[in-house]
Amino acid sequence: MIGGFFSLLADSGPSVHIAPAEVFQWGNFSITNSILYGWICSVVLIILFSAVARRVTVKPKGGFVQIVEIGVDFIENTVMGAFDDKQVGRRYVPFFVTLFFFILFNNWLGLLPIVGEGLQTHNGAPLFRPFTGDLDGTAAMGVLTMVLVYGASIKESGGLFKYLRHFFVGSPKNPLFFVIGLLEMFTDLTRVISLSLRLFLNITIGEIVIAVFAYLGHVAAPITALPFTLLEFLVAALQAYIFVILSIMYLAIAVNHSSAHPEEESAEDAQGLTDGTLPETMELKAGKA
Amino acid sequence: MVIADAVNTAIIGKGLMIGGGFIGPGIGIGLIGGNYLQAVGRNPEAAKFLGQALIFVAIVELFGLLAFASIFIVK
Repeated sequence: MIGGFFSLLADSGPSVHIAPAEVFQWGNFSITNSILYGWICSVVLIILFSAVARRVTVKPKGGFVQIVEIGVDFIENTVMGAFDDKQVGRRYVPFFVTLFFFILFNNWLGLLPIVGEGLQTHNGAPLFRPFTGDLDGTAAMGVLTMVLVYGASIKESGGLFKYLRHFFVGSPKNPLFFVIGLLEMFTDLTRVISLSLRLFLNITIGEIVIAVFAYLGHVAAPITALPFTLLEFLVAALQAYIFVILSIMYLAIAVNHSSAHPEEESAEDAQGLTDGTLPETMELKAGKA
Repeated sequence: MVIADAVNTAIIGKGLMIGGGFIGPGIGIGLIGGNYLQAVGRNPEAAKFLGQALIFVAIVELFGLLAFASIFIVK
C-alpha cells in the first residue's frame, strides 16, 4: 500500500513544491491544501487530547496517556526553569504545551504517505500538505508567539514606556545608547522571521528530500525513502522543541528583565540565611519600589 | 556571453549556492557538537546542557536553510 503511494512520485521527476496549492474556493478565500490538513490535524488533536485529559489519573496507568503526560511535564519543567518567578511562569505553561503538541502533531502527521503526492485533486495538485510546511502557517505561529511575548512583557513591566526603556542600556539621551537601543528593537523584530522560516524550511526540505529519494528509488521507493522518513521523524520532534524553547526564552528574558521589583523568594532567602541582611533588603526593596 | 549561451548558468549558480551555503553551517554545527563533547568529557555534569547546545544548532542551521531557500529565486 505504501509502495503504491510512493511510486506515484516516480513518474516524472521528484515533485518539489515550495508553495501550497489551492484545493477549493470558499467565498473569496482560497483554501490551500496546507490549511486543509492543518484543520484535520487540529480536529484530531482536539479529539485525542480531550479524551486523554479525561483519562488522566493520579496513578499513571501507562499507555498513550502517560506519553502525553511526559511531554506536558517536559515543557512545564522547561518553562518553570526559564522564569525567575515561578508564579508568573505557570501562567504561560498552557500556551507553550499547546504550541509544542500542535507543531509536533503537524510535523509527524505530515510524514504520512497520504500527504504530498499520495492523494491528488482533479488539478493534479497534492490534496494534503503539512501545515508547518507552509510559510503562511509558520508565520502565523511566529506572529502569534511574538504578540504574546510583547503583550506579556509590556504587562509585566507595567506600561509601554517602561518596556521600551529596557532596550536602552544607559540613558536614551546619549546618542550611542540611543542607536544601540534602536538596533536592539529591530533585532527583536527579526525573531518573527527567524522562528517561522526555520520551521518552514526544515519541514519543506524534509518533504523535498523524501520526494527526491522516493524518485531515485523508483520501484524500491519505500526502501530508499524510509531512512529519510525516520530521520525526518527526529527532525520534526527537534524542530517542535526548538520552536517552543526559543519562544520560551524570548518570553522569559523579557519578563525576567522587566520584573524590576524584588521577588518575595529572594527576601525569604535572605531572611533565612542571616538576620543581619534583612534591613538592607528591606531598604533595597523600598528604594527600588 | 559565449559561456552563458553554451551552458545553463543557473544550474552552476544553484550548485555554488548550495555548496558554499552549506559549508558555513557544517563547520558551525561541527564546532558546537565538538565543543559540547569536550565540555562533557571534562565535566560529565555538563551533559544536561544538550538542549541549550541544540538551540545554537538551530541558529546556525538557519543560515544553511536560507542558502537552500534562495536557490528557488535563481532562474
